[in-house]
Amino acid sequence: MTERRVWQRAEALRRLGGDEELLRELCQIFLEESPKLLQKLRQAVVYGDPEAALQAAHCLKGELSYLGAGKASQIARQLQDMADDKDLSQAAEKLAFLERELANLHCAMKDSAGMLR
Amino acid sequence: MNAPKEFPVTSGSKAQPSRLDSVLIAEDDPIFHRVLQSQLQKWGYQVVAVKDGLDAWSALQQQNAPPMAILDWMMPGLDGIELCRKIRSSKPGPYRYLLLLTAKDDKKDVVAGLEAGADDYLTKPFDMDELHARVRAGKRILELQDALIKAHEALQFESAHDPLTGLWNRGAIAGMLKREVRRSVRSHESLGVIMADVDHFKKINDSYGHPAGDAVLREVAHRLVESVRCYDYVGRYGGEEFLIVVVDCAVSVLGAIAERVRLGIAERPIDTGVGQIRASLSVGLASAQAGSPDSLDPEELVRAADAALYSAKAKGRNRVESAPVVRAAGQGGG
Repeated sequence: MTERRVWQRAEALRRLGGDEELLRELCQIFLEESPKLLQKLRQAVVYGDPEAALQAAHCLKGELSYLGAGKASQIARQLQDMADDKDLSQAAEKLAFLERELANLHCAMKDSAGMLR
Repeated sequence: MNAPKEFPVTSGSKAQPSRLDSVLIAEDDPIFHRVLQSQLQKWGYQVVAVKDGLDAWSALQQQNAPPMAILDWMMPGLDGIELCRKIRSSKPGPYRYLLLLTAKDDKKDVVAGLEAGADDYLTKPFDMDELHARVRAGKRILELQDALIKAHEALQFESAHDPLTGLWNRGAIAGMLKREVRRSVRSHESLGVIMADVDHFKKINDSYGHPAGDAVLREVAHRLVESVRCYDYVGRYGGEEFLIVVVDCAVSVLGAIAERVRLGIAERPIDTGVGQIRASLSVGLASAQAGSPDSLDPEELVRAADAALYSAKAKGRNRVESAPVVRAAGQGGG
């Protein structure tokens, strides 16, 4: 049930025209690359760098939305808007949400790929 | 520089044309990079994939660069918008079809992308069907453009070539002579003009028929091209009259080339549909000495070669006659 809320896998699959293999490959890339983006975002928030935060949040938002992680994508979007307005005062809190959501998403993806069994 | 020996020749641009089914992808995000690459390859496109705007720019400068580019808006180096502008303001070349990728909720205006020179845009997250449809739409435009370019090149070829022989036609060869005269004056090189006429051509037509006459003209054209150097120009000047522009050539060499031209026809008969036909050429040549000042007149060269040709006819045909070397006014003899 958590997987459905965190990750609309079917939506991602439909978008890829039902290509299971490609979806698996994309999840693999995401599992490797998203921690780096998250790290960039975290740093940008900590050091108060809206420019860098904007870039990282924008990338995460796009990937998350594409892969069917609607909720996480929304949070990234809110972070992007904050960065765009150059006001990161509420960003740390949002970032914590995003980190939790991403952790769940990673689990769901690994689960689906049979990596947790 | 000589006209190709066969006609019609496929409209040839010198550079190899780009493949219409090749696509450049410029996308720094690893997920979208992979999605685009994988899908376009699956649909049979040749993919050049780069991860930033500067690499995209240099990939598009290559010969045979893909005619279509899918550019992400946000990229390191050069972003998609800047890249569109840069491509559109670069020197004219083959048209690039530019598809810009944007995020749906970006505050940036899609209009700005189109105004920067993008042909179309696609918002992330996009479905495969939509991507495919947009890429196909772009390919249709490129195919139309390709057909137009080919038609234009074919027309250009036809407007400069004689359809029977494939040689330059009168207008084209006259233009080349004019250009070469100017060049020879500027660079102090000598220039030769050979005028050759098929002897008793009317008799050939009357005795063997016009198709045989045409075959003779085609074979004469072919042998003329073989007899001159690859950088000389051969044109059909009139019915059975040919004009050859011999660039940067000493008078003695010019005589040898003219003799080779004459011999090329006289030494062996021409095969036609009605059997072998013997033909010969009367040849007149004229030359302008190197170092003439700016008043050298191409018409004068042609007139001198023509007069020499008539003298060759008068002296019994199948022979070469030379006009006195043409020197422009103000140039001393010597």
